Amino acid sequence: MTRLRDDVRTALQHGVAVYRDRPASLRWLQHHLDRLDEPLRLALAGKVKAGKSTLLNALVGEAIAATDAGECTRVVTWYVDGHAPSVTLHPRDGGPSRQLQIKRVDGALDIDLDGTRVEQVDRLMVTWPSAGLRTTTLIDTPGIASMSLDTADRASRFLTPDDAPTAADAVLYLMRHLHAGDVRFLESFHDRGVARAAPVNTIAVLSRADEIGAGRVDALMSARRIAARYRADDTLRGLCQTVVAVAGLLAFTARTLRQDEYTALAAIAALSQDELDLLLLSADRFTHPDETVGPPLEVRRALLDRFGVFGLRLSVSLLRTGCRDAPTLADQLVARSGLVELREVLATQFSERRDVLKARSALIALERVLTVDPQPGAAPLAAEVERILAATHDFAELRLLSDLRWRVVKLPREQAEEAERLLGGQGSAAAQRLGMDVGTEPPDLREAALAALRTWRRRAESPMAGRAQADAARTVVRSCEGVLAGLRS
Amino acid sequence: MSVPEAIQLVEVATKATTAYQRPDLTARLGRTKERLADPAVRVLVVGEFKQGKSQLVNSLVSAPVCPVDDDIATSVVTVVRHADNPSVALVRDSDGNGTPERTQVALSELAAHVSEAGNPGNRAGLRHAEVGIPRSLLAGGLVLVDTPGVGGLGSAHGAATTAALAGADAVVMVSAAAQEYTRPEMDFLRAAVRMCPNVACVLTKTDLYPQWRRIAELDRGHLAAADVAADLIPVSSAVRQVALRTKSKSLNEESGFPVLIRYLREEVLARADQLDRRNTANDVLEVCAQLTTTLQAELTAQESPERAAALVAELERAQAAATRLKDRTARWQITLNDGVADLVADVEHDLRDRLRRITREGEELVDAADPALVWDQFSAWVHREVCVAASASFVRSTERARDLARRVAELFAEDGAIALPELVEMPRSDAPRVSTMNRPEIAPQGLGDRALAALRGGYMGGLMLFMPLSLIPAVAVAAPFAALGGALVLGRRQVRDERDRALQRRRSEAKGALRRHVDEVQFQVGKDSRDMLRTTQRTLRDHFTVLAEQVHTSMTASVVAAQRAVRSSEAERKTRIGDLKAELERVEHLSGRARALAGSS
Repeated sequence: MTRLRDDVRTALQHGVAVYRDRPASLRWLQHHLDRLDEPLRLALAGKVKAGKSTLLNALVGEAIAATDAGECTRVVTWYVDGHAPSVTLHPRDGGPSRQLQIKRVDGALDIDLDGTRVEQVDRLMVTWPSAGLRTTTLIDTPGIASMSLDTADRASRFLTPDDAPTAADAVLYLMRHLHAGDVRFLESFHDRGVARAAPVNTIAVLSRADEIGAGRVDALMSARRIAARYRADDTLRGLCQTVVAVAGLLAFTARTLRQDEYTALAAIAALSQDELDLLLLSADRFTHPDETVGPPLEVRRALLDRFGVFGLRLSVSLLRTGCRDAPTLADQLVARSGLVELREVLATQFSERRDVLKARSALIALERVLTVDPQPGAAPLAAEVERILAATHDFAELRLLSDLRWRVVKLPREQAEEAERLLGGQGSAAAQRLGMDVGTEPPDLREAALAALRTWRRRAESPMAGRAQADAARTVVRSCEGVLAGLRS
Repeated sequence: MSVPEAIQLVEVATKATTAYQRPDLTARLGRTKERLADPAVRVLVVGEFKQGKSQLVNSLVSAPVCPVDDDIATSVVTVVRHADNPSVALVRDSDGNGTPERTQVALSELAAHVSEAGNPGNRAGLRHAEVGIPRSLLAGGLVLVDTPGVGGLGSAHGAATTAALAGADAVVMVSAAAQEYTRPEMDFLRAAVRMCPNVACVLTKTDLYPQWRRIAELDRGHLAAADVAADLIPVSSAVRQVALRTKSKSLNEESGFPVLIRYLREEVLARADQLDRRNTANDVLEVCAQLTTTLQAELTAQESPERAAALVAELERAQAAATRLKDRTARWQITLNDGVADLVADVEHDLRDRLRRITREGEELVDAADPALVWDQFSAWVHREVCVAASASFVRSTERARDLARRVAELFAEDGAIALPELVEMPRSDAPRVSTMNRPEIAPQGLGDRALAALRGGYMGGLMLFMPLSLIPAVAVAAPFAALGGALVLGRRQVRDERDRALQRRRSEAKGALRRHVDEVQFQVGKDSRDMLRTTQRTLRDHFTVLAEQVHTSMTASVVAAQRAVRSSEAERKTRIGDLKAELERVEHLSGRARALAGSS
């Protein structure tokens, strides 16, 4: 893996040398050279009110992005790990960036643009000391408003071409519960700007999952079922790696649960069933000024803000079934919110692939310079880019994965599923590729890998296979060889 | 709406027309009675996917009549109406003849037939499901129509729903308190207020969202900005269900449902009721006017026989005028025929224009992307745009057809105001002077309804017909890249050239497929809307021709009566005058009752 990064670094440095007299291109290359060693950039994108900022806060474990019932995030905001908190404004016209005042309102950052109009801001850079940001830079994006009607937008609604350079290495696409037949179900994937989605670097999130099922305690089970259905949807498989259901508000609250909140919840859970049923019937009931049972009104109001109706019902039912202290409750809530699952998916899909995704971004950028600004000395560089792209098996894997998902290369369904798994579609560890349990012993893994290798070699050499199928089988064979090589060392 | 008073009135009037031997008027009252016998007041429950439409219907009738699920949506229209015994029927179009085929099923089986799980995309081809349930709310004739949320309002399905608006008495727009109105929702609402006189917005799931008051405020702002005059009623089905279970009055108030029920009773039902009364009263008044004219003509002749000859001459002139009214060259006839011809041309042009725009945009899209990669999305886009265009064209032609009906009615009324000779009037009569023929008031709503009922059958059928007709994929477009495998053999440039050529080919094939599809749609939809307008024309022509004939018959009867009066002896004359006065009094009494019916509500 690091060899790939080194190769790409060398190519970029070579590019810097070739383009030393072209300031614009040089800046671009220098930028991507720096970016190669930065943490992975993960953008959160989706429609207005999909819950992007709430999920960002849940991932970080701190209320750093402001959230509101109305439309809230209006500027692309980057959250980067750093020693001291600071906010920098980068204007759109390329002028000098400025430091902004930091204020905290109710724990969340309140960023005052200091008279700059929203349209003039390219991005805000928030530096914040946080463990949650150490390996990943998070990018919060304004929601895609409504469907715009001009043709250019329509065209961009179709999948953005794979070779467009993007500012984010990976994308979390948040969507609310929609019907698969809904045009906006797919439309919600097509965004412009930072978060250009490509299937290899996108994970879809069924957000606000707690609102499904009228806030019943088993709502998240329904949400998981829906996410599973989305995962099986052919069109959606072509657009993202997988779909995960997450209740963002619940995840965030659970990660920041306070002892006083636990105490108040415990007091509510101790009420009689009839009192509880009435109290938790609706948001209005819970914060009714005449209500005498349970904690005082201000406490109830604060609880409702933090947990939502569903969070309250779930917490109370957990407390009544034997949850004894605040940490246990927090753990249970985090587990049920889907955040754990999302983190696992992020780890297998993005963190393990970090180098490949980074290298991909860098090579796309380099190729763009070579096309847009051709220079006499650039020919060997172009050859080098082509060599890396062709020689790096990881790219071949990503390409084939995307082709299989788009059904550009057609294999029988079981074969396609097996190929996707072997190519690392469910994570690139040996066990995940072979579809075995994580704890499986190396000899067993080896045996499975050898079996897969034999099968796919036979498929690659089958005279019945078309050229595309044979090529695909050869790529899978190489992945099997890679797994075997990894097990040997 | 069942208005016993109205039915009674029509029955009395029918007795009168039978007694005066006017079968034409009897037939007319027969139609009025038929209209009263179908008391349905249709309330369409519409909204985006997963907003709680079915749950709202269930809470309204406090019974689980529409299946509710966290994920699976309703795929078939469910009609909930009053019945003395609970029953569920599936209605399917039978092949060939027009009568739909009905199958009775148990309520527990309904979910399997109307939800996406059991019947995805309405594969079973059901027209709708019908649930009958004994409820006082429905007993007044209220019929709740739960529409499928599948696909959302901006989709092809939504377009079909827009078209269905024309036949509804009221529309209830359902949106959850999770967020404010979206663009497609506002677009739908704007279309709804144009098509349907009574629109209400319901904000559901207020129990789940602490911020619902703010969302309600934002929504009211959107409604005001779009000039949509509709009430916004916040409700919570969850609270309502607990309220019903615990029989708690205060909780029920809190659920917001009493407000919604009051709206349905007072705004929707009462208004439909009032319309029924007014239409019935109008019909009866017209009939009375026809009878009165004949009676008064005879009375005038009987009372002053010396003037009878002149009177007959004048009546004959009026008769000639009435003859002209039913002539093909009457102004209203010409206006109607020309108007429909213009409308057909205009609607066709409008549709062609819309479809041409789709073709142009579609071609631009094809040029901007590789058809092989985006084909599914592209055909979905084409399908949706075409449906939206068809429904927009439908809304337009419906509106224009209504305008035309109004114009024709006005002309008919003007020319139908035939000058009559001065006739003897009843003393103590508070009726307006019948010196001219009573204006044949036709209630535009009633007429529009009738015309639209015809459209609904014809046009919606057409809409359904072309719905499954989606963009046929050109074989080569869907074929995998030819150049993909060649990458190893060919150099990069060659690959690129070959790829470009293949792409060009795919693009031109995609455009060809698009154009063929649009042509097909234009043919189908064009034919449907032409048929719809022809039906409108026929309906209007028949309606007014019958009216003209009634006037003519009345005039002929008047002439005959006046002539008879000249021949009668003095003694005969005396008794006849007494009789006529008594008869006129009776008819006048009937008109009085009709006026009372129209006035009361």
